[in-house]
Amino acid sequence: MTETLSPAQPLVVEEGEEQRGFAGTNVPRKEDKRLVQGQGVYFDDVKRHGMGYAHFVRSPYAHANITSIDVSKAEALEGVYGTLIGEEVAALTDPFFQLATPPGAHIKDYALAVGKVRHVGEPVAIVVAATRELARDAADLVEVDYEPLGAVTDARRALDPETPVLHEEAGSNLSWEGVYEWGDVEGAFAEADHVVKISELHFDRFNSTPLECDGAVVEYNRGTGQWTIHTNNQFPGFAAIMMGPAMRTGLDKLRFVTQDIGGGFGNKITSHPQLVACCLLARKLHRPINWTEWRTEFHLTMSHGNERWFLDTEVAVKADGTLLGFRTKALDDAGAFLRYEPLGGVIWAQVTPGCYRWRNVRLDFTQVVTNKAPCSPNRGYSRMQHLWFTERMIDIVAHELGLDPVEVRKKNYVKAEEMPYTTPNGCVYDSGDYARMLDVALELIGYEGLAERRADAESRGKLFGFGIGSTLDSGTNNFGQSRLINPELQFSGNNEVATVKLDIFGEIVVTLGTTPQGQSHETTAAIVVADILGVTPDDVNVRAGHDTYWNSHAGFSGTYASQFAVTGLGAVKGAAEKLAGEIKKLGSVILGCPESELELADGFVRMKANAEAALPLMACGAIINANNAGLPEDLDVTLNARYVYRPPFELPDVERKYGNLTLTYAAQVHAALVEVDPETGVYEIVQYAAIDDCGKRIHPQIVEGQVMGATAHALGAATHETFTYDAEGNLLTPNFYDYHVPHAMDMPPLKTGYIESPSPFTALGTKGMGEGGGAGIHAVCAALQDALAPRGRPVVYDSCNPYHRVWELLQDPEASRRRVEVISK
Amino acid sequence: MLLREVEYVRPSSLDEALRLLAADDGARPLAGGQTLLNVMKARAAAPDVLVDLNAIEELKGIDLAPNGTLTIGAMTTYTELLEAAETKARPILGEVAATIADVQVRNRGTIGGNVCSNDPTNHLPPLMVALGAEMVIAGADAERTVKAEDFFLGVYLTAAGPGEVLTKIRIPAGRSDGFAAVTIGADGTCIVNAAASLNGEARVAIGCVAAVPVLIRPGGRDADAVRDAVRGADLDPPSDVHASGEYRRHLAEVVAARAIEQASARS
Amino acid sequence: MEPQTSQTITVTVNGETYEREVEARRLLIHFIRDDLDLTGSHVGCDTGNCGACSVIYNGQLVKSCMLLAVQADGARIETVEGLAPEDGKLHALQQSFSDHHALQCGYCTPGMLMSAKALLDANPSASEEEIRKGLQGNICRCTGYWNIIDAVKAVAR
Repeated sequence: MTETLSPAQPLVVEEGEEQRGFAGTNVPRKEDKRLVQGQGVYFDDVKRHGMGYAHFVRSPYAHANITSIDVSKAEALEGVYGTLIGEEVAALTDPFFQLATPPGAHIKDYALAVGKVRHVGEPVAIVVAATRELARDAADLVEVDYEPLGAVTDARRALDPETPVLHEEAGSNLSWEGVYEWGDVEGAFAEADHVVKISELHFDRFNSTPLECDGAVVEYNRGTGQWTIHTNNQFPGFAAIMMGPAMRTGLDKLRFVTQDIGGGFGNKITSHPQLVACCLLARKLHRPINWTEWRTEFHLTMSHGNERWFLDTEVAVKADGTLLGFRTKALDDAGAFLRYEPLGGVIWAQVTPGCYRWRNVRLDFTQVVTNKAPCSPNRGYSRMQHLWFTERMIDIVAHELGLDPVEVRKKNYVKAEEMPYTTPNGCVYDSGDYARMLDVALELIGYEGLAERRADAESRGKLFGFGIGSTLDSGTNNFGQSRLINPELQFSGNNEVATVKLDIFGEIVVTLGTTPQGQSHETTAAIVVADILGVTPDDVNVRAGHDTYWNSHAGFSGTYASQFAVTGLGAVKGAAEKLAGEIKKLGSVILGCPESELELADGFVRMKANAEAALPLMACGAIINANNAGLPEDLDVTLNARYVYRPPFELPDVERKYGNLTLTYAAQVHAALVEVDPETGVYEIVQYAAIDDCGKRIHPQIVEGQVMGATAHALGAATHETFTYDAEGNLLTPNFYDYHVPHAMDMPPLKTGYIESPSPFTALGTKGMGEGGGAGIHAVCAALQDALAPRGRPVVYDSCNPYHRVWELLQDPEASRRRVEVISK
Repeated sequence: MLLREVEYVRPSSLDEALRLLAADDGARPLAGGQTLLNVMKARAAAPDVLVDLNAIEELKGIDLAPNGTLTIGAMTTYTELLEAAETKARPILGEVAATIADVQVRNRGTIGGNVCSNDPTNHLPPLMVALGAEMVIAGADAERTVKAEDFFLGVYLTAAGPGEVLTKIRIPAGRSDGFAAVTIGADGTCIVNAAASLNGEARVAIGCVAAVPVLIRPGGRDADAVRDAVRGADLDPPSDVHASGEYRRHLAEVVAARAIEQASARS
Repeated sequence: MEPQTSQTITVTVNGETYEREVEARRLLIHFIRDDLDLTGSHVGCDTGNCGACSVIYNGQLVKSCMLLAVQADGARIETVEGLAPEDGKLHALQQSFSDHHALQCGYCTPGMLMSAKALLDANPSASEEEIRKGLQGNICRCTGYWNIIDAVKAVAR
């Protein structure tokens, strides 16, 4: 049901380079053997003697003062080990560090609500008991008195004078604002033949809902004051710097351990408040604590994707369809707390002009807090919203000016020959050929035969539509971009670490700093190591998971933001090369020849000229580890190589908000065909094509898996997945009944295609990838707009279009058309 | 997850089940459990006693009488409904059962549980009403039969009251049936559904638009007549995240007409 | 027999018989994971939608979060841990899932495999449409299902 199209040769092959080894081949995935047998170890599979189960007491109100909490009845229940409430948390910890400048900086955020709740589901207290069921029984006995306050759930009302304020200490519901302007925006509009105005577009709130929810098993060692946190948090480096200062403890006292994680998609970055609460309980109750988050709790409280409005947009266009610039006001709804925010206020800038040569851009960014679950990264974090917006501008401009969306794209895409391309804000698109990708997409979707398909659909009473989404997956953050939202922040660059060692019996052992959630790091790391050490991936043991006590952990360690293929594999490559160098150094002593005459192949270090003169790697491991008498004193060889990869970044210019914010730019072009039932608004995606370019592919099958997964997320987000709140702040989609994710029967026929434009900036020519789902959200929006055009040319203005919204567009196309105005000279 | 404490018993006869249900006001029958256990997980319901009906043979089985009447035991699962030879006599039963949720739910969920829970988005309540089914209810003292259109009283509320058990459902002979729905994704939860039957008078029952299925008897079989009849019913459907009341009212007309159209094609 | 809040049950899982006292309110999935320590079956939702807890129960596919453990008294249950034959090889479906990259994080995989097994046990030559229908009760958030469907199709042939 899926077809793959790949060019026989990569687009760019460096001169004289010959493909060799396992890179680029689909070796069996190392993770699979345990996972298909149910032998994975996820946090909830970890059990400890005397472990207590935590259950959270949560706010039923969107906004209320807490007037009292009484845990006495809960604590009196037999089998209950103890409780924790906000007052204790406020006494034992400091508020979490805020990334924002004032006013957001004034927000006080603790592990549990202190004095006030600000969204439905916010944790108010925790009960720990001998069984899961008992813990919930006891949680039901905790008596909390609330004094309800008015709620705000519409970001557009958040700053109105009469709107209730969530965080009084911040003065208003404004959390962060900034103005971004590059190029000559006024000049662009003066030069334009047409100005297309779009009053309001809305990127909906959703997240990619990993199947495993958050959780942890936390142990406290009273003797050493050290916590061991078995958790599925996907960015322990970030969790640690949030948790340590709040808990008034050194970071080495926080040992993060992970084996398998049941999906993350960014949503598991910000579990630090809950982890702090578990740490406090483990210490208070002298027992290991299991915290298992259930689905409804996840939906109510965790990591919603940023909801964003684009207001008063104006696009400057020449008569021939050349795009000169745009200006807009982005209004971002962060939810009740800033757990990773306001980084969303700058992350979008990695892809400021999208795939296009827009040189003149102004974006006024305002972020507000509302009485909804806190936002945090979600696959495509902050760029997806902006890229959807850039794509929406393209199609609306094309439709309003009577231009072909394919031609407008081709005319305005950054061109292959312009790579590396510097954007108006100083980001550098490393490589790519977007027009070529679009051609592949058109071929796979059957563009030549669209007229017949349209006629066929119409003969069956259906409206037929074709749409494109073209996006970028910017990977490997320059954390210096955080200074664009807060110049005081002392973050910049990035890093990741790996160790590769050769043990006494010749075993090659790799440890990673990353926390994979299905991205196959064990497999791809083994390929890279095998190719460098001259062995097979089967010979390489990559330890499953992450443990900060393995000493393979750097400040930015984790798995997020499309970077493993660059930072993770860069570290693996560095460590493996370091080890290879040491093996040769030892080989040169033992074999009595210069290192330059040696090679690593077939499990040996041997003379290039004489394969008989060889030392097995096992012997190397044995000599260094257990048989080293008589080796030269100055032989600096441990066969235990640690390497920290540090991408080449400069500090961005804070004043101009200018600089290279990410290292690589994978690209996606997706195309969708839809058929709409005009009577009901029900529609079906009848064909889909996804083209990806992530540079050199270490393991094409794994890359394709990421493309498919991101596509599925996109299709879910485009059709049904929404976190919708009522005016009182109740989440209307708190479970998988009402929050409909795609099932097997919902998936359209898919064709995938690839081109490879190796990154000139990375060690392996790879680019981070996996977050290309935004393309699909737009492809569906564009296809719907095309399909509905014969019925009054409605404008698709929302990223999520469930059937009811499509029906509304059909019923009253004028209502949506009032959002758009064209002023021509 | 994590239910409140509950007592459990699994009787092997209907009499025993009725005795157990009568013995405690807080006792509830447990059929397939595919709705009730979910409600209990949310602690939105907390019966004191669950009387599991799964071991009671007399609540199972499907009988096809010579006159074509089907008698279906209340504990017949959806899977049995769609696989049994007898139900082929009324094909719509298997066709609709095949679209309920998924394999796992169909293997456990029962026709009796579906109608007794009467979640307004369920498939079978409107189908039973359209087909003119009769519901046989056993109480501590006597057995009684209630027409499907009188069986459904409210959300999660039916004529099978406390201490009673729906034992079987009788469905008259017929083949000219139809069913149409707008669902959230393929085989997903119904936004609006409608079942139609043209065996004798035209009957169409619409689900998801009120607490109970709305039975409409259109004057004609063409789409306009059906839509007029639905409009004449002055539906006031609920609004939720999936559909406004207005959209549901519109969909009710569309799916009613489509269900009748399907039924007509089989006349 | 009178109602009780807990009872002793006997359950055969993957050929091994267990006798345990269990609370009536305990869901079968918690019994399997927490009491029997068979942690291959997972929990991904709290409304019976995701299918990560799917097991084969007296020959039929069920979601083990939609049964009480006490209901399983006397039942035969198959979980993912019992899928591979004992000789260290993988079951054809397990191998095919790996070959087709039909899993990423692996969290849905045990339930997905049990659904696929139940499907092919009943219908060894299932078509693509039948496979989709057979897997409808299992949510995967990583793969988009395409490779899972291909993996099952490859075994169905």
